[in-house]
Amino acid sequence: MPAELRQEQSPSSQVSLATMPEAPEVLEETVTVEEDPGTPTSHVSIVMSEDGTTRRTETKVTKMVKTVTTRTVRQVPMGPDGLPLLDGGPPPLGHFADGPLDRHFLLRGGGPAATLSRTFLSGGSGFPDSPEPRDIPSYGSLSRGLGLRPPRGGPLGPGPGDGCFTLPGRREAFTEGPEPVPLAPPLPAGRSQPERFQAEPYGLEDDTRSLAADDGGGPELEPDFGTATRRRPDGGRGLRSRPYEDVAEDGGGGELMEERPPFPATAAPLAQPERGSLGSLDRAARRSPSVDSARKEPRWRDPELPEVLAMLRHPVDPVKANAAAYLQHLCFENEGVKRRVRQLRGLPLLVALLDHPRAEVRRRACGALRNLSFGRDPDNKAAIRDCGGVPALVRLLRAARDSEVRELVTGTLWNLSSYEPLKMVIIDHGLQTLTHEVIVPHSGWEREPNEDSKPRDAEWTTVFKNTSGCLRNVSSDGAEARRRLRECEGLVDALLHALQSAVGRKDTDNKSVENCVCIMRNLSYHVHKEVPGADRYQEAEPGPLGGTVGSQHRRRDDAGCFGGKKTKEDWFHQGRKDGEMDRNFDTLDLPKRTEAAKGFELLYQPEVVRLYLSLLTESRNFNTLEAAAGALQNLSAGNWMWATYIRATVRKERGLPVLVELLQSETDKVVRAVAIALRNLSLDRRNKDLIGSYAMAELVRNVRNAQAPARPGARLEEDTVVAVLNTIHEIVSDSPDNARSLLQARGVPALAALGASSQSVREAKAASHVLQTVWSYKELRGALQRDGWTKARFQSAAAHAKGPKGALSPGGFDDSTLPLVDKSLDGEKPGSRDVIPMEALGPDGYSTMDRREWRARGSAPAGEASEKEPLKPDPSRKAAPPGPSRPAVRLVDAVGDAKPQPVDSWV
Amino acid sequence: MSYIPGQPVTAVVQRVEIHKLRQGENLILGFSIGGGIDQDPSQNPFSEDKTDKGIYVTRVSEGGPAEIAGLQIGDKIMQVNGWDMTMVTHDQARKRLTKRSEEVVRLLVTRQSLQKAVHQSMLS
Repeated sequence: MPAELRQEQSPSSQVSLATMPEAPEVLEETVTVEEDPGTPTSHVSIVMSEDGTTRRTETKVTKMVKTVTTRTVRQVPMGPDGLPLLDGGPPPLGHFADGPLDRHFLLRGGGPAATLSRTFLSGGSGFPDSPEPRDIPSYGSLSRGLGLRPPRGGPLGPGPGDGCFTLPGRREAFTEGPEPVPLAPPLPAGRSQPERFQAEPYGLEDDTRSLAADDGGGPELEPDFGTATRRRPDGGRGLRSRPYEDVAEDGGGGELMEERPPFPATAAPLAQPERGSLGSLDRAARRSPSVDSARKEPRWRDPELPEVLAMLRHPVDPVKANAAAYLQHLCFENEGVKRRVRQLRGLPLLVALLDHPRAEVRRRACGALRNLSFGRDPDNKAAIRDCGGVPALVRLLRAARDSEVRELVTGTLWNLSSYEPLKMVIIDHGLQTLTHEVIVPHSGWEREPNEDSKPRDAEWTTVFKNTSGCLRNVSSDGAEARRRLRECEGLVDALLHALQSAVGRKDTDNKSVENCVCIMRNLSYHVHKEVPGADRYQEAEPGPLGGTVGSQHRRRDDAGCFGGKKTKEDWFHQGRKDGEMDRNFDTLDLPKRTEAAKGFELLYQPEVVRLYLSLLTESRNFNTLEAAAGALQNLSAGNWMWATYIRATVRKERGLPVLVELLQSETDKVVRAVAIALRNLSLDRRNKDLIGSYAMAELVRNVRNAQAPARPGARLEEDTVVAVLNTIHEIVSDSPDNARSLLQARGVPALAALGASSQSVREAKAASHVLQTVWSYKELRGALQRDGWTKARFQSAAAHAKGPKGALSPGGFDDSTLPLVDKSLDGEKPGSRDVIPMEALGPDGYSTMDRREWRARGSAPAGEASEKEPLKPDPSRKAAPPGPSRPAVRLVDAVGDAKPQPVDSWV
Repeated sequence: MSYIPGQPVTAVVQRVEIHKLRQGENLILGFSIGGGIDQDPSQNPFSEDKTDKGIYVTRVSEGGPAEIAGLQIGDKIMQVNGWDMTMVTHDQARKRLTKRSEEVVRLLVTRQSLQKAVHQSMLS
């Protein structure tokens, strides 16, 4: 038998490897596997506003594989009497439709049902006959009907194992008589069937779950994953893996039979058969409907969990394999069983099986671990770690050539990677292997390209998807994790190559691309501080007002825009002639490289801008959009030379319109990421002018939406609204022209309305900061007053906003110019801090998306520190402008101010 | 650090020599000034003493001649080519700086950071 199995597998695996990634799944699915991508995969997206504000988002995606060990069940029913089969054969179909798949163990229906699993009947005596074939057909039909994969003919083929499973106790029960019937009927029927049905529903559920859970990171894909993948396999599978099919549906019978012989006598070491299986009980509780269907159904008894776990130690390998497969099935979507497996110390057993000499056993064990590692409960993940699961999985990955196993291993690692304490463990043990075994080969990147061969495209295999998901999660584990990933040879190169390949093929919506972009974003976070040699590229730090040279530089920067545009242009001209305009980005000379950038240097080369912009243009995947915008945000933050280049490059690559367009996105987090990216980009003076001219209408539209959503449920999240408001504040500061644009876009009424009506203190505060800034431009006051606005309105907004804190100091504000400024400065700090919300988040974010996100951000160790740091530059930066800018106003406005306006003359 | 117009001033000053940049018909210095005895000193964001009616540098254009020469925002201009700037109107200051016949202007400026630096060094 083993030989057969292997043969089957090997072909399939080879095929899958060589050609299609998907294929492997199908094959694997000999067992009905449902994959729910609900597994928590966390990716942290870090958004930086300005210099440092960072925002972290974690997304958790969970993948579940549901494996229905159909074989066991079916075979049992069918084989036993043959009668059952007959009865069951036809009926089963019907049942199946309903959902009764229990093929597991017959609980031993009453006289009519009579069908006993063969195992039960005689521990296999009946088996020799060919009951199975019959079963098979029904099986096949069932599974298909359900939409599940029929699979596993092959693996189950070990079906004999089924025999093994059968518990002695059962038999006894059976022998005794039909009495059990009453008890059993409801349970079994409900249970197995429901499961199958659930398969799809679950998938959906998971999806939603994942969606909710993920901030958006992984969820979307999930849905596809759940359904698409599953279905595909079924279809394709038949074609491809004939061995399996044969086994399962028709020829399979033969195999099974063969296998049985070995196991027959070995029947279960289990003791107490009487009760229904755990699974059945649990399920029964949940699914009452199935009860009805129970009437016709034969009753089987399921092995209980301790029995299953005991079978993991069974001397016969196929028993181990089947026990593991059945365990995987039991665990699907059942947190209770997962918990019990842990409590019964089943995890170390499974981990130990990862090194088992037989491939089938390793595979099944890994499949069970994959399900067991899925879920919000971190205890199983921790338990797997504690028994050396991570190194064992990595070992298996290195050794396995079978793509199915590689998928299972990487899927398990993906699940594990969502648990914070495991991230560094995975990096320590698995980073090199994951990179060199999966990421690099599948990305198509070649270390030393061969001139003859054209560049290879990335292969979006499931293995690649899982692995990139895992790395995406671990990349969020703070500065050290980022450093390790950046310095992992070939990783960044391969990811970039894969993304470029995706853009080239216009295939940018899939999960793998999303994962890659998320990794890139995370690795781009704080590059300006963390990359080796970053000091060399630092530009003067903005210091406190009036202090260091740096601050002076800042001011000069800001000063650039005081004049009208014309003046500015003149100045730029001048500078160019002077050859001194290094800071003027349009004349920017990118540094010449003597050798091509590689490794982490690629993260911040201006060339990546085009890649991200392509993704922003092409992709329809919201997570990808968010991540790409987040990457630009990260790269354009900070005050090192490369950030300056990135900001200028975004403009030169015509990226600003792309970003502005995304402000219309219906997806909250995309709007937020883009808004913050624009804010960072506006550190560049030219960008600021352009953004002020062209983005203002969209920004204001978002403000208006925030205040009065176009449709119910469309209201933006608080974070997003605050991000948009802060961006407006940023582009309006130091720029009377932009402030005027805000007026023209009818932004003032929108802001005032938001400030007055918002339930959120942060929103109101941010809105009032903008209003104060606007009011500080004296040349605009005339226009404002003509529209009926008064200073009081602006101040009241501020007062209102500050009300909660009671920090208002009305006294000083009488002065026409400075007071408002002070106020705004004052408020600025809190405001900007708000933008970067990380701290408060607890580690449990599952409940809602929002929370999760928050949590994710907060949870990252790096999160807090980084976030705070970033802010600092902010205040100082803003502080500087007010002084010079205000006086700079040269217009005489009609304001009733008695004092002459300050004059300011260019010389 | 307040200065009383017409009175001897003790201030730490720095010499700044700016070579004007010719742009078309214009000679450009690359900064802007605010203040003057005809202006409202209370609105001067740079002065420590809000009654100071001196001439202050309010903006410096990036990469321009003034920046190259080391002029900074917030500098108070004491003299231009020897002419006192502590008690002039805004327009007088502007004209003094923008004489077409002069390609170079020599400024005497003071700034708070200079004052503080000197003060501290004297203390220590």
